[in-house]
Amino acid sequence: MKYSLFYKKSLFIYFYIIVIFLITTISKASIESDIKDITSKLRCMTCQNQTIYSSDTEFSLSIKKIIRQKLKNNESEKEIMNFLINRYGEYIVLEPKFNKQNLFLWLFPFIILALSLVFFILRIRKNT
Amino acid sequence: MNKLILSLPIILIFIISIFLLIFLLQNKDPNVPPSALLDKKIPPVNLVDLFNDNKLINLSNLKNKEILINFFASWCAPCKVEHPLLFQIKKQNPNLYILGINHKDKKHDAINYLNQDGNPYDFVGVDKKGLIGLEFGVFGLPETFLINKSGKIIYKYLGPLTKKVITNEIQPLL
Repeated sequence: MKYSLFYKKSLFIYFYIIVIFLITTISKASIESDIKDITSKLRCMTCQNQTIYSSDTEFSLSIKKIIRQKLKNNESEKEIMNFLINRYGEYIVLEPKFNKQNLFLWLFPFIILALSLVFFILRIRKNT
Repeated sequence: MNKLILSLPIILIFIISIFLLIFLLQNKDPNVPPSALLDKKIPPVNLVDLFNDNKLINLSNLKNKEILINFFASWCAPCKVEHPLLFQIKKQNPNLYILGINHKDKKHDAINYLNQDGNPYDFVGVDKKGLIGLEFGVFGLPETFLINKSGKIIYKYLGPLTKKVITNEIQPLL
């Protein structure tokens, strides 16, 4: 089968456009999904108990814009989080970090659980 | 021993109550988050003058000066409330460099606002896109920062300044 040069060129351009379109769509979808992931972990500082993802305040919109820009610049989630924590403090993160400062906060429920168990066992023993 | 273990929950509740009491006595508002920038160096950002596009300053070049940075905008009602107090601070502390940063505002609105209400600032920088505010962790207007002579942020106040705040919190630091 012989194809004219024009036909081959058209086919090549057609595939090229399709590939570019697919790559752009996938990368856009991936950025949007990353934005959702990151902003769901961040607190809207001007709202009452809302994430940046679920908020449409000016503050949240500007943070979403910055995160989108940083993702386009290939910055990782960790880098973006650190950027925001350095400026707004750990308060902007919904889940407190597991570090020395927050150790008591993380361990306290387990301490209470352990003590309650001991208390419970002792009570049962005493009653039996 | 058993008695001690049995009374542990009461002891724990007592300890927690003491912690809570200490927090309450500190008179801290839990709605005001602590600033991440306290005791840190001032961000080295460039500011363009509101009145002259060709005039530029870099914040890290403002050395050996005590600086009061005030983020404001013409559209911000609480900024209008605290505005006269900035004149009062300047009168009480003539050597204090008061730097205004016009945040997410329109240039002509900001100029009209300062012409109408007066300009207490030594320099007014433009932060049209809010990127300078981002460097300072600003999330609501007005916000005020105090910088010491070595360029460290020593104080931050969120919301409109009041006479009480100036007398009790800002003046002792100057």
